[in-house]
Amino acid sequence: MGLKYDKETIELPASWKSKPLPLIAIGLILLVISYTIGLTVAGGGTDSDRGMRFATHSYLANFMFLLSFSLGALFFIMVQFLTRAGWSTAIRRVAEIKMAILPYSGLMFIPVLGLVLTGNYALYEWNQDPSKIHNSLIRGKIEDGYLQSNYFTLRSVIYLALLSGMSIWFFNKSRAQDESGDPELSLARQKWSGPFIMVYALTVSFLAFDWVMSIDAAWFSTIFGVYVFAASMLGFFSMMVIINMALQKAGKLQGLVNVEHYHDLGKFMFGFVMFWSYIAFSQLVLIWYGNIPEETEWYRVRLNGGWEYYSYALIIVHFAIPFLGLLSRHVRRHKAGLLFWACWLVAVHWMDMTYLVMPNVKGGFAVVPMVGHLIGGFGALALFAGFFLLKASNVPLVAVRDPRMPESLTYSNPIL
Amino acid sequence: MATTANIASYNPREIDNTSDVPGHRAPLITGNQTYHSVTEMVCNVAEAPQPMLWYILFGFSSLTAVMFLSLIAFLLYMGVGIWGNMNPVFWAWPIVNFVFWVGIGHAGTLISAILFLFRQNWRTSINRAAEAMTIFAVVCAGIYPGIHVGRAWLAFWLLPYPSLNLWMWPQFRSPLLWDVFAVGTYASTSLVFWYMGMIPDLATYRDRSKTKMKRFVYSIFCLGWTGSSRHWLRYEKAYTLLAALAAPLVLSVHTVVSFDFAVSQVAGWHTTIFPPYFVAGAIFSGFAMVVTLLVPMRKIYKLENLITLRHLDNMNKIILATGSLVGLAYGTEFFIAWYSKNPYEGFTFMNRAFGPYWWAYWIMVSCNVISPQLFWFKKLRTSPFWMVVICIFVNIGMWFERFVITVTSLSRDYLPSSWGYFSPTIFDGLMFFGSFGVFMSLFLLFCRYLPTIAMSEVKGVMSSDAHAKHVQDELMGVHSHGHHH
Amino acid sequence: MSDHKPKNTTGTKAPKAYGWMAEYPDEHKLLEAARKVRDSGYTDTDAFTPFPVHGIDEALGIKPTVLPFIVLCCGFTGLCLAVTMQYWMNGVDYMYIISGKPMGITPASVPVSFEMTILFSAFSTFLGMIALNKLPRFSNPVFTNPRFDRATDDKFFLYVSASDKYYNRDSVKELLGGTSPDVLDEVVEDGSPAELPKFVWLGALLVVLTGLIPLMIVLNIRESFSEKPRFHVFLDMDFQPKKKADQQTTVFADGRTMRPQVAGTVGRGQLEEQDAFYLGYDPNDLAATVKMTPTRLVSLQDGAAQPPADAPATQPPAATDSAAAPATAPTANATQPPAAAPMPAAEAPEKPWLTELPIEANEANMKLGELKFQIYCSACHGYAGNGDGLVHKRADALAQGTWLPPTSFHIDRVKAQSVGKIFNTISKGQGKMAGYANALTPKERWAIVLYVRALQRSRDAKLDDIPVDKRSSLEEAGSK
Repeated sequence: MGLKYDKETIELPASWKSKPLPLIAIGLILLVISYTIGLTVAGGGTDSDRGMRFATHSYLANFMFLLSFSLGALFFIMVQFLTRAGWSTAIRRVAEIKMAILPYSGLMFIPVLGLVLTGNYALYEWNQDPSKIHNSLIRGKIEDGYLQSNYFTLRSVIYLALLSGMSIWFFNKSRAQDESGDPELSLARQKWSGPFIMVYALTVSFLAFDWVMSIDAAWFSTIFGVYVFAASMLGFFSMMVIINMALQKAGKLQGLVNVEHYHDLGKFMFGFVMFWSYIAFSQLVLIWYGNIPEETEWYRVRLNGGWEYYSYALIIVHFAIPFLGLLSRHVRRHKAGLLFWACWLVAVHWMDMTYLVMPNVKGGFAVVPMVGHLIGGFGALALFAGFFLLKASNVPLVAVRDPRMPESLTYSNPIL
Repeated sequence: MATTANIASYNPREIDNTSDVPGHRAPLITGNQTYHSVTEMVCNVAEAPQPMLWYILFGFSSLTAVMFLSLIAFLLYMGVGIWGNMNPVFWAWPIVNFVFWVGIGHAGTLISAILFLFRQNWRTSINRAAEAMTIFAVVCAGIYPGIHVGRAWLAFWLLPYPSLNLWMWPQFRSPLLWDVFAVGTYASTSLVFWYMGMIPDLATYRDRSKTKMKRFVYSIFCLGWTGSSRHWLRYEKAYTLLAALAAPLVLSVHTVVSFDFAVSQVAGWHTTIFPPYFVAGAIFSGFAMVVTLLVPMRKIYKLENLITLRHLDNMNKIILATGSLVGLAYGTEFFIAWYSKNPYEGFTFMNRAFGPYWWAYWIMVSCNVISPQLFWFKKLRTSPFWMVVICIFVNIGMWFERFVITVTSLSRDYLPSSWGYFSPTIFDGLMFFGSFGVFMSLFLLFCRYLPTIAMSEVKGVMSSDAHAKHVQDELMGVHSHGHHH
Repeated sequence: MSDHKPKNTTGTKAPKAYGWMAEYPDEHKLLEAARKVRDSGYTDTDAFTPFPVHGIDEALGIKPTVLPFIVLCCGFTGLCLAVTMQYWMNGVDYMYIISGKPMGITPASVPVSFEMTILFSAFSTFLGMIALNKLPRFSNPVFTNPRFDRATDDKFFLYVSASDKYYNRDSVKELLGGTSPDVLDEVVEDGSPAELPKFVWLGALLVVLTGLIPLMIVLNIRESFSEKPRFHVFLDMDFQPKKKADQQTTVFADGRTMRPQVAGTVGRGQLEEQDAFYLGYDPNDLAATVKMTPTRLVSLQDGAAQPPADAPATQPPAATDSAAAPATAPTANATQPPAAAPMPAAEAPEKPWLTELPIEANEANMKLGELKFQIYCSACHGYAGNGDGLVHKRADALAQGTWLPPTSFHIDRVKAQSVGKIFNTISKGQGKMAGYANALTPKERWAIVLYVRALQRSRDAKLDDIPVDKRSSLEEAGSK
């Protein structure tokens, strides 16, 4: 008993296998270009200058964009085992590869840590002598040692270690099952997915607080971790559709990934468009209604200096348009239609990450440096593709001997 | 031809279908059921004479309900002064009870809508009872704001109707009005969802009824359902659409309830995590109540083969997950209160844990965060006795959560001169107790007269599971039997 | 084939046949049979199953439903209605500020809009399903066969209607017979009534009509008027254990519930009552000349309510310090019934009116006074203050005999009045003249006083009063 696979269809195309290193190189070059543009066009190289602020913020935004796909993948994999899901088995390996590149993406945080440890305060305003800071809310955080470079670095390393460790553990178990087909490997992942998901929830919440929320060190929002999580999931599902369709276009995964999987991924995209909107609206309406100065500051910079058009546009392109676009079952089952919306959502996901970080550069929306920032976004995508191909080069593209594979290949979406 | 019901063949030792080897799904319902035996088992609940226990429980709960209604009459006569609500805690037990019951009323629609969207077929055995429980919990919830407004007979002023007396419109920027719309929409949509789900099963009751009167009544309520395929097609579409609509609705309801608190500037209320945290808490308490009700119900009505350990195990896992989410939210709130360096937030949270209401806070934490952690142990997750015990603790904890949020923040506001300590009166206690009478009476009536399990859905899942297995076997080259093509 | 016989086959008239109904033990056999029937070209067919059988729509050739579009439209309607409603009700028709939030559509409009969208969508889903399925339908020929009761239990039925355009009784029977059904029956009329029994309709009507009665009573009461006191179902806080301002009390010696202000009290917005600029007299001077008691103070306030007639009766002598008051003090007023003293203020002591204008006598004030005088005063008093304004002339022409001519400012009584008194007259009126305090600011009133003084002065002016350089022009005008 066992499924027979055509070896051709579950391997990366030969031509793609030589691409990872060039892609990574391109990604890094683009990021450097983007950084340089920020530094020069926005002007000024010292920490308090706009150029330095722009370049560092831009890097952080693009880093979060890159990391979010892996963050989403890790959660997705854990939930699949937690719920003993069968439908996703055929597409799970692609998600696992996305998850497994988390350590690589995590390495891209090293420049930020370097900045922090060298005392740069262009990105993290709190990274300076508290006596120079007038805002008592920020000063308090520095003085009690929470926002402080060494402790911040330690926490960052712990976050990355925990997330990478869980990713590697899940990936290795899955690879081991490719060889042995042992159902115990599935049971082990089922068993540990529960505790791991709790670790994940804590890690991502605090990661979001530390890495992104603290760029506005006076501001705080308890929902912020959930916001980053929701955005990451949306980015992950959209990227899943793009990768699977690209692989199928290259003649891979034939007969393994079918319209039912795309339909379900489409439903998840739709669901997370709504969930993101729900979380974003919850944060907005509570802060808008409460109207307390230390909270509204975050929205004040996003609703002034040109960012207001960006904010309003985000409501339209990140909620209204994809909501209507993905509403129909026919669109979700239509390959070209779904691919269009997946690309759209990856683009607006990048916009969203930009929205979380870039307005904090202060001084309003500036078009030319933003082009540089966009180049960095493409750099992050190239890096992601490079990492993905690197990891995918020597593994099958499906979990070949997963006992739940037959279920995944035969299920259907009857009515929804 | 017709299979006899195998109620008799039920083995009193529980069949453990909670674990399965990956690739081989354990059966959702146990005991080799046929379509007919499912019908027999479910209809037996209403057709067989009710056990003595039913009469005892109903007698007790209806008396409690009567006491509740009398107390409401007394309240309307005397005014809300009979409660302990007093400056500075004007939002006390009535709001706590409202949020408590609304929270419980989240499980039903969650099971029938969100689990449906996630194709969790195990929901079919439990969704009907959970939906019924939802409606009854929302009924209990709706009573409290109604009587809390003082002049309950003018509650219709909340609605935007053209009033010739007042010449004014409601205040749409108030979260309390959002509540009217959210809870109103939720109650009516849940009712529609519940009723629509029952139509095919009411037709089964109709077709099995022995007396003309019963047949007549069930005929009316099932709208003359025939089971026509054309009808089924639209029915399934409608059910799916309702599920897709109810899923965001169920999130929105407790979100709006959380807005009641969170849009204010009261320290401890004004925090952005409130919407998802309240929703998680609502699901948590709702599932706990479903488990509390279903464990005795399956025992009394011998439904162990339909509501199996797997169902209970799954619900307990959801309780564990949502309980941990609630714990995460408590932690996040505490952390941000400290991190933000906002002195009022910091004070409020220290006050919750170590102030005059420390006991309420620690009851909340131990019941809501610690007790569900026991569900990490499979033994407890699959033991009907222990799961009921833990679920009762969860419900106690969730009541205290609302108490802690409402009362601690109000009793210690920005102005120390207005601080106070809230003490409930006997009427607060009796009326809360009385609302359980209403809830239980309605639930017992539901068991007696309405289909407690969605028979048609259970049969549909039996059919589709068999079909899925057949297709998988075909793929794997295993020759299956029982199929004809 | 069937062991069941239609009930009224014994009748002479053949019962109406609706079609053929085949019964199968499971869904697979049903699907097979349905495909066969579809492939034979029958379209007016249906299957009856205890649960939705997947694939039956394709097997029977049933088209997808339009329900989602109905729901989409209704949901959109709900959304538009909610947005319009909130915009109009709070942003246009009944605007008021709540915690500084803007009017109209704001983030606060989202929850209600969302709920209304869901509400409309959900009800249109349910009602749409009911309507598209043409339910409720209580009388259905398929019910005539008792075997059909199993359609909601565990049996699967396939039905070919006689109304199909290719229907032929025998060939359909043969076709269905070939699908190896458990039972094959013809669906025939069994003579049972297709309508609900009359008593059901009557009962329903009765219930509806009875239900309308309370509603009609409520509407009738709401829309009619009655002299009788309101009937209180709920007390609505209409009767409370407290006194209203105009009620008597035994708590206070004077029997009044409404308490006068304690002497020297300055209420919010009442500062002007303490200032000569607003009053025309200095209250401190008044206090110095008149010994104040609460009773006195109230009676001094123009237009104040009369103390109750029985006040002195309940007044203990110790509380009466009116003996210390000057003889002109209107203590007697308090002892007289209200009817006997209609104008207590008139008998109040003459106040220490200002004799000096509190505003500067400059050209700007004079111009202001002239302007305001001509607007407000000249209609009666005339442009020159002779008491011969247009109103007076018109009234005189009508000659009705009741007209009291306006006062001329040039009579000695008025000329002797101090500026404070004139100010008071403008502010509060005199005789038939109404007060102008609500139309004119104190400054404008003082400006009018200045102008009136100028008018009075002009009558007795001598040539010496005019500046030297202006005299010639006056002389020229006089010579013409």
